Amino acid sequence: MRIRLLQILVALCYFILICQLINLAVFRSSYFRELADKNCIRFVPQQGGRGKILDANNKILVTNRLSYDVLILPQSLFQITQIFEKLSFILQISPEQLMEQFKRNYTEPSVPVCVAKNIGLDKAVQVEESKLNLEGVIVQTNVMRYYPYEKIAAHILGHLGQIDVWRLSKLASYGYKAKDIVGVGGIEERYDYYLRQQDGGISIEVDHQGRFSRLLSYFPPRNGKDIGLTIDLRIQRIVEEILDNYIGSIVIIEPNTGAVLAMASRPDFSPLSFLKSNSPKLLSELFNNPYAPLTNRAIQGQYPPGSVFKPLVATAALELNKINSATTFNCPGFLRIGRRDFKCWAVHNEVDLIKALAQSCDVFFYKLGLAIGPAKLHEFADKFGLGQLTGVELPYEAKGNIPHPLLRKMKTFQRWYDGDTANFAIGQGAVLVTPLQMVRAIAVFANGGQLVRPYLVRSIDQKDVSSSHQKIEQLPLKKKYLELVRRGLREVVANPQGTAHVLANLPVSVAGKTGTAEAPGGTHAWFVGFFPFEKPQFCAAVFLENGGHGAKSASLLKEIIERMIEEGIILP
Amino acid sequence: MKATTRILIVSVVIAIFGILSIYSSTSRKEGEFFQNLYRYQILRLVLGLCVFWFFSRFNYRRLWDWTYFIYSLVLLLLLLVFILGIVRMGAQRWLKIWWLTVQPTEIAKIMILLFLARYFSKKEPDDVEVKASKFGLIKALIIPFIFTAIPMFLIIEQPDLGSGAIIFFIFFTMLYLSKIRVRYIIIFVLVIVSLLPVSWHFLKPYQKARIQVFLNPNTDPLGAGYTVIQSKIAIGSAGILGKGWRSGTQSQLKFLPEAHTDFIFATFVEEWGCLGGIFLIVLYWLLVQVGIRTAQSTTDHYGQLLSMGIACMICIQSCINIAMTMGLMPVVGVPLPLMSYGGSSIITTFSALGIMANVSKTRNIF
Repeated sequence: MRIRLLQILVALCYFILICQLINLAVFRSSYFRELADKNCIRFVPQQGGRGKILDANNKILVTNRLSYDVLILPQSLFQITQIFEKLSFILQISPEQLMEQFKRNYTEPSVPVCVAKNIGLDKAVQVEESKLNLEGVIVQTNVMRYYPYEKIAAHILGHLGQIDVWRLSKLASYGYKAKDIVGVGGIEERYDYYLRQQDGGISIEVDHQGRFSRLLSYFPPRNGKDIGLTIDLRIQRIVEEILDNYIGSIVIIEPNTGAVLAMASRPDFSPLSFLKSNSPKLLSELFNNPYAPLTNRAIQGQYPPGSVFKPLVATAALELNKINSATTFNCPGFLRIGRRDFKCWAVHNEVDLIKALAQSCDVFFYKLGLAIGPAKLHEFADKFGLGQLTGVELPYEAKGNIPHPLLRKMKTFQRWYDGDTANFAIGQGAVLVTPLQMVRAIAVFANGGQLVRPYLVRSIDQKDVSSSHQKIEQLPLKKKYLELVRRGLREVVANPQGTAHVLANLPVSVAGKTGTAEAPGGTHAWFVGFFPFEKPQFCAAVFLENGGHGAKSASLLKEIIERMIEEGIILP
Repeated sequence: MKATTRILIVSVVIAIFGILSIYSSTSRKEGEFFQNLYRYQILRLVLGLCVFWFFSRFNYRRLWDWTYFIYSLVLLLLLLVFILGIVRMGAQRWLKIWWLTVQPTEIAKIMILLFLARYFSKKEPDDVEVKASKFGLIKALIIPFIFTAIPMFLIIEQPDLGSGAIIFFIFFTMLYLSKIRVRYIIIFVLVIVSLLPVSWHFLKPYQKARIQVFLNPNTDPLGAGYTVIQSKIAIGSAGILGKGWRSGTQSQLKFLPEAHTDFIFATFVEEWGCLGGIFLIVLYWLLVQVGIRTAQSTTDHYGQLLSMGIACMICIQSCINIAMTMGLMPVVGVPLPLMSYGGSSIITTFSALGIMANVSKTRNIF
């Protein structure tokens, strides 16, 4: 009897064991499997390098460099304040700041937390050396963006930053993840898909002490593709140096192809300030600066063109047979339209087209404008690519604005007056353009009637893509009229009374048009032109925001051309 | 099939599983010593089989006369452990005699069995009834307990709480199986239960920690709880079919401590899966079952107690060990009989099985 009972007890014991075994190994198997993998499988990420950005002569504008981050593994921390004190002594960052970073980035006890980014090599070595006292502190090497010329072409290149919610929502389907580093603004953003590296890594098996046991798999990191720009670093540097201390923008393009050789905007920023984590103050300064240093004025700034709009009006009048080369008007210094006197900046008396362009006579162009009519003016401005995106490979380009009586009526229910036409004809009123649009419009006179699309990217991953990026459109303009306007543009510089006579004494012959556009806060100074006159190779727009008279811009261009000759870029 | 053959087949299969697991868990360790462990174990299996053969031929009734001699010999060995024992992992459990390392605790378990079987199956020459049914309280409980308590105390002081507990369990099973009055058993249980809270204070700190960890393994995941957690991970991650021989990550990469000794069950299940584990448990059950059948069919009370005691010893040890690897019991240093690495354990188990085989063979003499 007692044996029988014991027999049942024994069977029951073994039955319970089998039940528990099935419970662990079958029902909770996936949970334990995960734990077992976590025990012994480690993923060691290997970063690929983001693609480089090169200039026209394959000079490096942006590349990568190793940087060192300090990470703390929370689970091995026992005396957190002590460690922060020691770290702060080495890194020269206050313990409070470290603590703040630690709290902000903390996710899980087993995930290392980044407390200081981009410390120098010397500090990294110091931390590594005192690692015995700093339990749970890890120094991680990262591939970091490096700008050999710091601020040069910052607006074109853009910078890097952590992906934001808005971008993530659009890019998630392309394999972007939260906390990814992506390009923000400029080429970095537009060509992020190409520049982006693919991070790889090795998954290894480790033993109980975390020592390597064997290799499970290796996924090689892939570097991003290099982007070659049409920017000529030499010209870009000259332009940036000369534009310093001004607010505005300079764009130089190659008139026959549309290749952008230089594009600068001021005030500017340093892309590096986005990489340093300990510079939130610097960043908020950038964002709150009233002069908007992050704005690329060459494509995002919309300004009234003023007199630089006049060559377009002249072409329109010639094409529509409203005037010919012999037509003259009298300029008494003003023109009465309706009940208002529209002033000219001087009394020019008898003016023909050439003189009107050279001396920038407003009355002449009021009359042309009235003769052409606003609808036709709009049509011609449209032909020259104003009021529309140029299609340059940069994000967030602005369209500008070209008024039209119908549009105005539709939008604001206001009438169009002749006075509006007059303002339109001298590039004032509702006319808004970007410097890039303007340089593209003036290139039409330089290259014999072709509207080019400005482009920045000549090669992707060593492959020449310039032919697919440039787009040249022949405008239906008569050669002789273009030639006439060209002569007028040359007179602007060559004629002693021309508004840009400062450019006359250069070894190269320059043609162009100044503009002094009325704007709140002072007139904008414009100069758009091309040089050498006979066989144009460069087309430039110099724009100074509230910079005064157009001649100021012309003198800036003079300095640029002098420097370009000095450096042998232009052969006189 | 004869009982001897059954015992032999089942025990050898278990031992081979043990050797395979020992090989698997030690082959990737550094050092010749660990990599050769499986060879020693094979040697011990052969030795164990010899011992088995010897005891299955040796008439167990003759052990009756040797009982007191064996008892005093084991006591001597246990005392010697205190004087000459080797200290390993903070415990003094091993005795080195020339080149042989002996764990007297293992022998003590058999010794207690022999002693109690003899004690409870005494007969008067003129009476067929077993004496035990007429024992008073002192003879039924106190005297056998004193005899058990002396070696048990020595073992617990080594310290080896697990083996002490097993001897206590053996004592209790023998008490239950003997023909003493039921009321004595009830008295014994009540006394023990009332003493349990007091005994907490006599535990060593690490033993207390183990029990606390058993109640909540996550209190100290890197300390006392580590072993159980890793062992559960090893068993749980195996799935139905296991990871394959020599492919268990937990044991191969040494996340599982004591993978070839006390936690060999986890090593085995990790590589052979849930099905392998069930198969192994069934094997132990079969072995115990043979012992119980033998006890049921023999008429000799001494043989009955011996065979039943041996079966229960194997059952208790295997249950405690397996339950502990699966987190059903606090961690105690109890080897899995026939599987775990260790010479004393496998040889004493085989000799016990030999005695059991002999009981089944000679049951018809009386």
